[in-house]
Amino acid sequence: MDDSAKRLLQRLMRRIPTPTLRSALEKWGRLTTEQQKSMDFTQSKWALTERLLGICEVNSAIFSEIQINVNQGMWYAFQLMDPEDDAKSVDLTQFKEQFKSHLRELVRNVSIKMKKHTDEAVWIRIAWGDTFSRPNHLKPTYIVHYLQTPYVFVTSITSKQKPLLSQALVLSTRYQAIKDANLSGRKLTAIRDLLMKKYQQVFPTKYPIPPPENNQTISNQHIEKEQAELAANRLQMACEAFGGGMLPQLQSAVYKLETKFRDHSNKTMTEREEPFRCVVKFTSTNLLESFRHCASSGIASTPVTPLLSCIPLKGRNYFLITDNGPGPSSQRGQPQV
Amino acid sequence: MERHQNRYNSILLITLLKYYFLKETRTPRNNVVVHRRRKSKSYRLSYRSGLGAADSRLGWSPALTARRLNTSRKAAGISNIAERVDPGQLALLVKTEWQLSYVTPLHQFRHTQLKSYARQLSAFIAAGKQQGLAVEVEGLQTTFRVSFSLVQGMTQSDEDAESVLVQIHSKRLFARQDEPQKPVWSGWLTCINGNPDYLRALPKDFVCLPLFGCSGADGLSALVKSWFQQSFDCCFGLLEISHTSLQWLMALWTNCHAESGIQHLKMIWTLPAAPPLQVTYTVDPEDAWELWSSVRKGKGGGGGGEEEEEAGENYIDIEEVTSFMQGLKSHFYRHFRLDLSAGSLNQVSTALGSAKYSGRMKISNSRYMITTLTLLTECALLKMPI
Repeated sequence: MDDSAKRLLQRLMRRIPTPTLRSALEKWGRLTTEQQKSMDFTQSKWALTERLLGICEVNSAIFSEIQINVNQGMWYAFQLMDPEDDAKSVDLTQFKEQFKSHLRELVRNVSIKMKKHTDEAVWIRIAWGDTFSRPNHLKPTYIVHYLQTPYVFVTSITSKQKPLLSQALVLSTRYQAIKDANLSGRKLTAIRDLLMKKYQQVFPTKYPIPPPENNQTISNQHIEKEQAELAANRLQMACEAFGGGMLPQLQSAVYKLETKFRDHSNKTMTEREEPFRCVVKFTSTNLLESFRHCASSGIASTPVTPLLSCIPLKGRNYFLITDNGPGPSSQRGQPQV
Repeated sequence: MERHQNRYNSILLITLLKYYFLKETRTPRNNVVVHRRRKSKSYRLSYRSGLGAADSRLGWSPALTARRLNTSRKAAGISNIAERVDPGQLALLVKTEWQLSYVTPLHQFRHTQLKSYARQLSAFIAAGKQQGLAVEVEGLQTTFRVSFSLVQGMTQSDEDAESVLVQIHSKRLFARQDEPQKPVWSGWLTCINGNPDYLRALPKDFVCLPLFGCSGADGLSALVKSWFQQSFDCCFGLLEISHTSLQWLMALWTNCHAESGIQHLKMIWTLPAAPPLQVTYTVDPEDAWELWSSVRKGKGGGGGGEEEEEAGENYIDIEEVTSFMQGLKSHFYRHFRLDLSAGSLNQVSTALGSAKYSGRMKISNSRYMITTLTLLTECALLKMPI
């Protein structure tokens, strides 16, 4: 291990908070069981770092993958457009070679590491440098691409690096363009599941009515029955719109509204030509779960408005809504500029 | 303490009876326009609109509790506050987020004895620290220097008492002489446009400064409050800014857009979903202003011809405020079919200031400070336990 690698490992170890150190090293999975056991976590961090350096000398591991566990940034989804004829037949080796050669043509000093995981995802780690400086391993960009699909997920990239990456991706995957999918979130698994529809979908069929509660003492049977039916309808529509079971953990959705104000009770505003501009942001620990609950409990009127059901349908969480032609305002998502 | 409590209760009970008795027989001299408006509209309408803000602990019949949040309010005009108040003090008050409380009238508080109060509070805090009550701010060597200052120029009527500013600085043992010291804790007591009937009915010994704002360590806030409670026989309580008051602030601030741009109108709602859903609804300032203007123009003869002439555009009615809010909610509903009324409004903010339901408030522009403080003084007075 050269000096810069050693220094990098030391800095990485410093950045990992002590309580999570053990689990981080376990997740990293580069230490054998005996080596893991030999690490005495009651020692100071400095002593542990020295021990780890010793072990890594032996292993010569790719230690940078530790950073993935510490990464708390936002993931952005992109979609490749207009495939060429041979886009479907791009295999892993071809993609790897092409990507590396194209990116190296564009950027002088760049360190690229690519790895395929078991679930068909190719993880790419890029440390950017330029003509005068060496690759910066402390601020790498991570890219995840699912072969045979047009989806790419990126985190920690600057606006200067984006066009270079786009170019390399487009050329190596044999597509013609790449666009912003208007989807972002903190959890990669969540936005991946949403975009690639890897969650339980509910299709319009008869949904079982939830069994009535038995612990209610005085209840009118007729009211119960009627309410149960309405509740079942709401639940069905909520699940159709957002999905059943566990939903991908999306944290936020942003709607930029530029539609006209229409309200019967307010003539002045209704006659106004300019749109009423506002921005609505929904946040929650699990946004789709919240929406589904709103629909099933009646806070949101059913059938669910296309604006909200668009999130799982189209797999995006940024929308620009404008009036589209005459008649009632319809929604049309536009790509982010 | 028991004796004090009894004396306080009995004094205030007598005050209360005097106040209500006098109110029935005496015609109020000012607030004429406001009262006439109330009578011409349905009395119950104003009662209901105010009840949301009034303390539910009162629970007395409406005839006795005639005090409620005003249904009509003077729109903010350009106030020359910058000329009347010392700019240094003004700078301390704006751009900080304050936690609000209401305070019952202070017994035997003298504006002339501020220096003595500062010494007493200083000693109280030192004693509290010894007993381990205060939260340590910056290490073990800190002693505190307290200053009480009079903030002159803020009062709007003869009945308002002068506002008082309290600051606690930490004296570090090795601080340089010329180091500018930022206070580690600040607080203020004020009364702006307080209800004159209530204020006049108080016995001579009591000073009413119902609105209290503080910013700084919680431990110090608790110490200051308990010193006040001990010295002036008063009570503190959390002042929550009710939904109605938040709507008022929204309307009052939007109304100022023509003079000082509000830059945005932001509302934060929380809907009771599982997990809870937070909605941040930000409206473009021009559009908010146009909606507000349309709501004001649309309001024709509400109570009668002559009131309109006298009131002019200077008075805002609660109906205009609710129509404004209704317009915003209906625009939202049209798109998302989500009724915001199902949730609660937690925060309202513009470039002029921000206010949260939890009682935290910030004034960013000193020009509209008086209007905001008038509303909050009213809220505080409504919370008085008796």
